[in-house]
Amino acid sequence: MIIAVSGKGGTGKTMVSSTLVKLLSTTGKDVLAIDADPDSNLPEALGVLVDKTVGDVREELKKDTAAGNIPPGANKWDILDYKIMESVIETPEFDLLVMGRPEGSGCYCAVNNMLRKIIETLSSNYDYIIIDTEAGLEHLSRRTTHNVDIMLVVTDPSHRGILTADRIGELAQELEINFKKLYLILNRLKREDEEDLKRKISQIGLELAGVIYEDPLISEFDMAGKPLINLPDDSDPVIAVRRILSKALNFNEE
Amino acid sequence: MFEDIPVDVSPMYEGERIRSANMFVELAGPKSIGAELVQVEDDVEDGKIQVIGPELTEMNQGDIFPFAINIQIQGEKLEKELEGVIERRIHELCNYVKGFMHLNQRDQIWCRVSTEALEAGFKLEHLAKSLSILFKEEFPIIENIAVTILTNKEEVESFLELAKDQYTKRDARARELSDEDVDVFYGCLMCQSFAPSHMCVVTPDRTALCGAINWFDCRAAAKMDPDGPIFEIEKGDVIDAEKGEYSTVNEAIAEHSQGTTDRVYIHSVFEYPHTSCGCFEAVAFYIPELDGIGIVDRDFRGETPLGIPFSAMAGQCSGGKQVEGFTGLSLEYMRSPKFLQADGGYGRVIWMPKAMKDSVLKFMPEEMRDKIPTEEDATTINEIKDFITKHQHPVLELIKESETESAKEDIEKETPRETEETEYESIPSIPVTMAPEISMPAAGGVKIIFKNAKIYAEKVIIKRK
Repeated sequence: MIIAVSGKGGTGKTMVSSTLVKLLSTTGKDVLAIDADPDSNLPEALGVLVDKTVGDVREELKKDTAAGNIPPGANKWDILDYKIMESVIETPEFDLLVMGRPEGSGCYCAVNNMLRKIIETLSSNYDYIIIDTEAGLEHLSRRTTHNVDIMLVVTDPSHRGILTADRIGELAQELEINFKKLYLILNRLKREDEEDLKRKISQIGLELAGVIYEDPLISEFDMAGKPLINLPDDSDPVIAVRRILSKALNFNEE
Repeated sequence: MFEDIPVDVSPMYEGERIRSANMFVELAGPKSIGAELVQVEDDVEDGKIQVIGPELTEMNQGDIFPFAINIQIQGEKLEKELEGVIERRIHELCNYVKGFMHLNQRDQIWCRVSTEALEAGFKLEHLAKSLSILFKEEFPIIENIAVTILTNKEEVESFLELAKDQYTKRDARARELSDEDVDVFYGCLMCQSFAPSHMCVVTPDRTALCGAINWFDCRAAAKMDPDGPIFEIEKGDVIDAEKGEYSTVNEAIAEHSQGTTDRVYIHSVFEYPHTSCGCFEAVAFYIPELDGIGIVDRDFRGETPLGIPFSAMAGQCSGGKQVEGFTGLSLEYMRSPKFLQADGGYGRVIWMPKAMKDSVLKFMPEEMRDKIPTEEDATTINEIKDFITKHQHPVLELIKESETESAKEDIEKETPRETEETEYESIPSIPVTMAPEISMPAAGGVKIIFKNAKIYAEKVIIKRK
């Protein structure tokens, strides 16, 4: 099951992703988190340190190849495979793969082709994969997220956030990307605005998976640099995401 | 066949990864040492299985152990040259064993055993047994096989020495592998998403021009994914060995470029050079004034002696176009003994960036090393001319020859032409453009192409529209 989380930057995408990882990793299943947003801070939210990203692996291979350091009998697929495995951050609860910076100058068609295959194989070993995607819509048009089962689009109450969410929905349709389910999550909501916003959202045709109310605890964690994965189980945001998750996972039975 | 192996053995477990959370022990890998080796021997006791060092039952949860797989094979038709190919299969066959993860090859292997496998009663001797059975099944030419697994540090260390020595010997042989030694080349269409008429021809002497994949990588890829973007091209008839023209390569490029290109010389920048996607690590470009070739790579930020930087040049010859006088290439190709052999190889190269020259220096013929200027020696065509004259670059011979030839021609053609030239030279003019090939827009179904054109003008006016 692949769940992707997208939305405009700063809407709380990473909080939703890290909480999903937290909740799913308590199920005893194998969970892989993928940080596919070069601007995101998913590793910080999950409380882990990153040594090496997929971007670093790509650069390393390019450099070694150009310098003639790779013996002719060695196979680059296998080398990449090893290096990608090495870049996976493993914890008892979940594993994390960080995509890192996008490619530099030069062409990466061949290397990217190999990487895509390798990451697909790697991912097939996990029960749940949570992808924190780029804030923009590029990942949709580049079809990097085309085999996603559930797409969760996060928005804050801002007009632009809702507009972006709407555009993601439209683009997914245009590109004929068949998510099994596409949901909207309304984050950082003030109770007094709820009615208004729900009316506004009903007009854009995205199904609302749930709302997360503005919570001082999150700003507190952010200010102190505490990993969001450590939000208490009984805190409101975690309860809200749990509700969203069970709705998302049970959509078949609805 | 696998009845005494306590876990499943099947190709369906290929690609299995074991998370550290589900792992019993790690073998070799980034935190330890390891190696694997297949050797053809004269006397092998068939079916012999040995584990030297601790078995899984003597290890503890979370341990990391050194690890080596030593396979000896014997068979009437087995040759030393096949060791590498057979050894490559260890990775795949180990992964058939459920609960055993195996990554990479040689002295860079990384293995894990799952807790689940251990609980099922799996031991390293079972791995050795499975390999012994699988290898004989995959390669009927193996008559006898013995598998030894090492987990003892000292044993693995001394085995590693032996293995490294073998890898070095094998690599030396692989470097010697040339276009003549193989029956298949490979075509690669990975870049067709943005260069739809481009196909890379990959041969032992010419890596793909992005530098990312060589002949061996292609062989592995074509085997893994026969319907994928990398495929075999039977070598077929040699039309010109020097230029690197092959009938089947021409057919393949015609088919995969939708007829845009139907001939290609893989070892020349002239006439029908290899097309370029845009991925190339470097571009070789003809410098008509001196009848030599310049090379510039992606990392060089300055201007080439043609007055344009790499990026502008890349724009001219990318996208699957065949542009005479330009060809994209990889740095690895510059280490090939067939590097632009039809054009004279390094004997024809008259300019390249310093950093690039340093990285390929030891692959250049010794007598050429001081004769090729870099941006530190020359940045214009005149400066190159001075440098190569001073250093007796062999390209001067070519210029002399062609001058003598054209002098002869002039005599034959008598006076009118000479008058013309005098007239032309009396007007001060500046070069506007120089290109090995220029197509002019023309009407009436006629296309005008200038080859090796130099256009001079008395005055150039640039106007904003």
